[in-house]
Amino acid sequence: MNPTDRRHPWSRLVAAARSAPDDRDPAAPFGFSTRVAALALSAPPRASFSLMFERLSWRALGVACLLMLASVIANYSAITRPPDEEVTMRDPIAEVLELES
Amino acid sequence: MSEPTAFDLAGCLQRVRQRDQSAARELVEQLYPMVIRIVRAHLPRNVAEEDLSQEIFMKMFTRLEQYQGAVPFPHWVSRIAVTTCIDHLRTQKRRPEFRWADLSEDEAEVLDAVLTNESDQAPDDALAARELVNKLLGQLKPADRLVLQLLDLEQKTVAEICALTGWNSSLIKVRAFRARRKLQKLFQELQRKERS
Repeated sequence: MNPTDRRHPWSRLVAAARSAPDDRDPAAPFGFSTRVAALALSAPPRASFSLMFERLSWRALGVACLLMLASVIANYSAITRPPDEEVTMRDPIAEVLELES
Repeated sequence: MSEPTAFDLAGCLQRVRQRDQSAARELVEQLYPMVIRIVRAHLPRNVAEEDLSQEIFMKMFTRLEQYQGAVPFPHWVSRIAVTTCIDHLRTQKRRPEFRWADLSEDEAEVLDAVLTNESDQAPDDALAARELVNKLLGQLKPADRLVLQLLDLEQKTVAEICALTGWNSSLIKVRAFRARRKLQKLFQELQRKERS
C-alpha cells in the first residue's frame, strides 16, 4: 500500500489533521517586536565576511608597503653603491681541481 | 474608510540597515505570522515557540548584511527559520519510541480507526489526529519530517518547498520518499502490534 494512496492510514490521518482548527493567534505577542528590535540593534553591527576581508586586505597592503619602504631605506647604500671592480667568486670545483693538480 | 497601506519592505530594510529601531520593529511584526507558522509546524519538544522565534529574528538581523536580494526577503527569512528549527530538532537526538501505550484515549481511537477502517473517510477527531500526526512525524529525521509536513499537511508543492527551504526538487523528492517508506514500516508495525 502506498502512503500517497487516499485510503492509506497516513493519508486519512493527515486529511483529518488538516481539518483541525488552529485558533492560535498568528500576531506577535505584546512587546515581542520591541524586545527583539532592541536586542538586535543594541549589539554592534557584525561585519560580513567580504567587508571584513576587504578591510583586512587594505591593512595588509599598507603593512606590506611600509615593510618594502623600510627595507629599501635600510639597504639604500648597498643598492646605490657601484659594483666592485674585482668580483671574487669562489668556485669550489675549481679549487678541488687545483688541489689535485 | 481608508485601505491599509502596502508594506514597503525595501524601504523598511534600508532603514533597518541604518539602525532604525522602529523599522526593525515593523519588520518583525510583518514577518512574525510567517515565522510563527514555521515554528509551530516544526516546534521541537521542550522549546518555547517564542524563544525559537526570537532566535530566528536575531539571526535574521545579524545576517542582514549578507542578504543580496537573490531571493525574495520572506523566502530568505523562511530558510533561516527552517534551518533553525531543523538544528533544534537535531539536538533532540533520540526520538521517543512510538508506542500504543503512550497515546491518549482519543489518539488511540483515531489510530485504531485509520488502521482498521479501509474506507477513505477521515477520522472524526481532528485534534487527536493532529497530535497523532505530530507524534508520527517525530519518528522521522528532522529534514524528512519537514518535507512531509510541508507536502502532506500544508499541501505545498515541491516548487514552493524549494523556495521555502532552498533545497533542490530532487532532494525534496528523495526525502519525501524516504519519509513515506519509514511511515509505511511504522504503520505495518503498529498493525502487527494491534493484532497481537
